[in-house]
Amino acid sequence: MKNRLRVLRAEYEWSQAELADRLYVSRQTVNAIEKGKYDPSLPLAFKIARLFKMQIEEIFFPEE
Amino acid sequence: MKAVNQRYTRELIGSIVAYSLLLLGAIWLINGPLAESSLRFVIVLLPMLPIIFTVRAIVRYLSNTDEFERELQLKSVAVSLAGTAFITFTYGFLEVVGLPKISMFSVWPLMAAIWVVTRFILNRQYQ
Repeated sequence: MKNRLRVLRAEYEWSQAELADRLYVSRQTVNAIEKGKYDPSLPLAFKIARLFKMQIEEIFFPEE
Repeated sequence: MKAVNQRYTRELIGSIVAYSLLLLGAIWLINGPLAESSLRFVIVLLPMLPIIFTVRAIVRYLSNTDEFERELQLKSVAVSLAGTAFITFTYGFLEVVGLPKISMFSVWPLMAAIWVVTRFILNRQYQ
């Protein structure tokens, strides 16, 4: 699923590893989500949204 | 994540070391002092005790690791299961018509090899 994770991460100047640590996931997970190859679970999606102080729908865009 | 991975590595290495030591001990005993003893059925199984801890380490790791890692591991295990079932059963039929019988010891290495190769391919796919 398309998402703005990479853009948001860049705004905070975090590396993938740093973002991964803040989300308690592996760097591989962050990379896979950014590339749209893996959709996070609902709990993880909420964690991401809370971290960036946004709604899930402002970060993730399901293909219609 | 680091704590989960470190504990997993520690537990895995620990059980492999214990397995190796018990294996050497068991082999020595059943080839030597206890060769004729009925105890040899128990002794030969001693190396499997640490494997119980290996299984526990793997289950604990999968339960506590992150969701994406868990998905990749389970996909790899599923492919390994299907591949191993297919290959071992195929060879079973071939044994019936005369091909040399292969020991049960070959099943696990086959399973592990398919698991590792599948995981390697999946890693590259998600890179």
